[in-house]
Amino acid sequence: MAAGMGWGLALRRREEPLLLVAAGAALAALALLPLVSLAGQLATREALLGASRALSAPRTWALFMSSVGLAAAVTIASLVVGLPLGVLLGRTDIPFRRAALWLHTFPLFLPPFLLALGWFHLLGRGGLAGSAPGARLLFSPVGVVLILALALTPVVTSLVVVGLQAVDPSLEEAALLVAGPRRTSVRILLPLIRPAVALAALVVFSLAFSELGVPMFLRVGVYPAMVFSRLGGVDYAPGEAFALALPLFMVAVALLVVERRAAGRRSFAVLGPRSREVPALRIGRWRPAAIVFAAAAALVPLLPLASLAIRALRGGGFSKLPQWMGTSAWNSLLDAFLAGTLILALAVVIGHAAARRRRGGVGLDALAVLAFVTPATVLGVGLVATWNRPSLQAVYGTSAIVALALAARYGAVGLRTAAVSFSQGSEHHEEAAAIGGARFLRRLGRILVPIHARGLAAAWLLAVVFCLRDLETAVLLYPAGQEPLTVRIFTLEANGPEPVVAALACVQVAMTAAVLAVGSALLFRRKT
Amino acid sequence: MIRKRVVLLLLVVLSAAFAVSCRSRAREVVVYLSIDQVFTEPILRDFERQSGVKVRAVFDTEETKSTGVLNRVVAEAASPQADVFWSGDPVRPMLLVKRGLVRPYVSPNAAAIPPAFKAADGSWTGGAARARLLLVNKNRVKPGELPRSVRDLADPRWKGQTAIANPLFGTTTMHVAALADAWGDDALKDFLRQLKANGCRIASSNGEVKRLVAAGEVAFGLADTDDAAEALHDGAPIAVVYPDQDGMGTLIMPTAVVPLAGPNPEEARRLVDFLVSAQAEQKLVDAASHIPLRPDVKPPAGGKRASEIKTMQVDYARIAGTMERLQPWLREWVGV
Repeated sequence: MAAGMGWGLALRRREEPLLLVAAGAALAALALLPLVSLAGQLATREALLGASRALSAPRTWALFMSSVGLAAAVTIASLVVGLPLGVLLGRTDIPFRRAALWLHTFPLFLPPFLLALGWFHLLGRGGLAGSAPGARLLFSPVGVVLILALALTPVVTSLVVVGLQAVDPSLEEAALLVAGPRRTSVRILLPLIRPAVALAALVVFSLAFSELGVPMFLRVGVYPAMVFSRLGGVDYAPGEAFALALPLFMVAVALLVVERRAAGRRSFAVLGPRSREVPALRIGRWRPAAIVFAAAAALVPLLPLASLAIRALRGGGFSKLPQWMGTSAWNSLLDAFLAGTLILALAVVIGHAAARRRRGGVGLDALAVLAFVTPATVLGVGLVATWNRPSLQAVYGTSAIVALALAARYGAVGLRTAAVSFSQGSEHHEEAAAIGGARFLRRLGRILVPIHARGLAAAWLLAVVFCLRDLETAVLLYPAGQEPLTVRIFTLEANGPEPVVAALACVQVAMTAAVLAVGSALLFRRKT
Repeated sequence: MIRKRVVLLLLVVLSAAFAVSCRSRAREVVVYLSIDQVFTEPILRDFERQSGVKVRAVFDTEETKSTGVLNRVVAEAASPQADVFWSGDPVRPMLLVKRGLVRPYVSPNAAAIPPAFKAADGSWTGGAARARLLLVNKNRVKPGELPRSVRDLADPRWKGQTAIANPLFGTTTMHVAALADAWGDDALKDFLRQLKANGCRIASSNGEVKRLVAAGEVAFGLADTDDAAEALHDGAPIAVVYPDQDGMGTLIMPTAVVPLAGPNPEEARRLVDFLVSAQAEQKLVDAASHIPLRPDVKPPAGGKRASEIKTMQVDYARIAGTMERLQPWLREWVGV
């Protein structure tokens, strides 16, 4: 009896590490096991020889460096536009800045290939504003950089805006006593939000580096396409694909190290509401130019969406939707909601551990980021190898496998958001409750989750929206007849009626906008 | 309040998940396809209506055409999911035969299909076919100067004015393998090197080749019958050339219905019977401007029967082996 009570007590005392171990094991099963399973396919001499041949070929590294250059160009372009835009929309007195921020950010939540499709209908041959030079530019590395930069700049802009909110107002006010708004922004505000900028650069570089849909659509060779060719070509060689993905893992680790160095111990505590409101910076004579810049940043990313809508309207695509859409929109929502909920469950435990620098927390955060930058095709084939077993058909044969795959790939999105939320709160509440005898699960349920409900809801919403925009993960393993909308658009794009494909793309846009609108309305409801 | 909402949301999500996982699996068949969804989905719906069997489909994307779902069948070999593979060509299914993933079935409906377009053991049965064509932009090429052979793609006279699709994917993979069998590996490699030196553009797909030719960005390119039909339907200034009619002949690729070792063998046989029937072939011929193989199926308006074309003599099983052998070299040639 006493021994039983002793065990119970010990378990209660160790609730937090045990829960972290359980969440960590789940994350490892989702993100690490598939990669280990693929690595196992390198166990034969023949596979190892093939892998070493592929890795030692000069063209492998030429393509790798070209992809690094492409992703770097996208990152630089995003920073060049996103940093000033973030300051303008986050801290200055230009009109309609909140609306401009929403419009500017929205394309981030759409599949990049859909934006490429929109630009094709606008600038491609036969497009609304099509011309030979425009088409040539579009179907070139420059076109890839521009489209990805337009799609990913909102990452920088929004993180800068949110980062600025966390800056101590007194520092800004002190700076304004001796310097103008421009000098204050450049010398005080931007250095203070360096961790947010580092995080933004990490996310943009990762997404640009692992992007497959846009470069393939625009016929530009990239390293992930080389990995994909070992999975999508005739001589199917998943082990070799894994070996070719190893340099990508090295890039992921390097990015994490750079981000941690840049952010220091403030990795997660860089975003959050400011303690009190301060007046917006007045930018004086630069105001007209700033308004034009902000308006362009808000409206240009919407051009491809408008061209899709016009193409759908002109060809009667909307009237044919019932014939071609099937249950794909519902499948998308179900997959995304399931995955978002799973991500949230993991994010509450792991995000808390990462924010509080618990042992293992930061390592699990790194694992989630690793899965985020792993080519979706590699992760997908690993998941097939891991989960496609007769005893696991309840998972593999249903939407559950897509939800697990999405949770593996986008776990980092929810985890980071939850970590940021936890790091904004004081540890004192938790410590006081712990001293009062509340065990971890109780503290989690009664204190942490209620206090951070809004942050956690934001983590869920972000995860859901990222899952909604996914194409490359789901396309490899969706259950037959249950394809998400992005996959249906992509498969119908092959010789399907253009107006119908454009109309389906518009449905994807509307669905994402609706989820964001409802989610945001619920999130910010109590504020007003 | 927020907690209640979260609990409610969780309940909704879990109920939906439960509903999905408990979905009835009675009388259904799983089919993987590498033929365009836009053409095949209506045929599958016809089968559903006539048989009462639910069809669950996985379609390929344009870029990985024919190999994406094929590799999914291979990846799922440990616990097969698909009952039928409806392939755009009969070559890739040979890779599945080699791996023991096919469950042969000789459909009684296949009796009218010529023996050259089906396997005697029922491992695959051919249907409406495509031919590899030269699509020529009439604004850029005078009638008397039309190309006549695939070799014209490498003719210096057309430097920088031709296009083919990426030979790692789609029907172009099979075409280069067929050329290797006809000419020998070395001659094929020389030809492809000449193509590169001649500035031939490597498009992402046959559809992209069609767009390049239709827009006049190149003078001519290699694509399929259905691409030609679509361009003509859209009013593009296109002339169609069946290449090598005075030489080795034009490559014809029948679609192939392949019964797999999936979990629904009875329904799979019913679907195979339907897909190789005259009704399904006629629908595919009409929708995708394919070439009919059966005598009781009419060609599309302005189209031809297989018997009216001088076709390249090929051994599909041999092409499959050549295709695998050529892959490393082709990847290097493409640059990935």
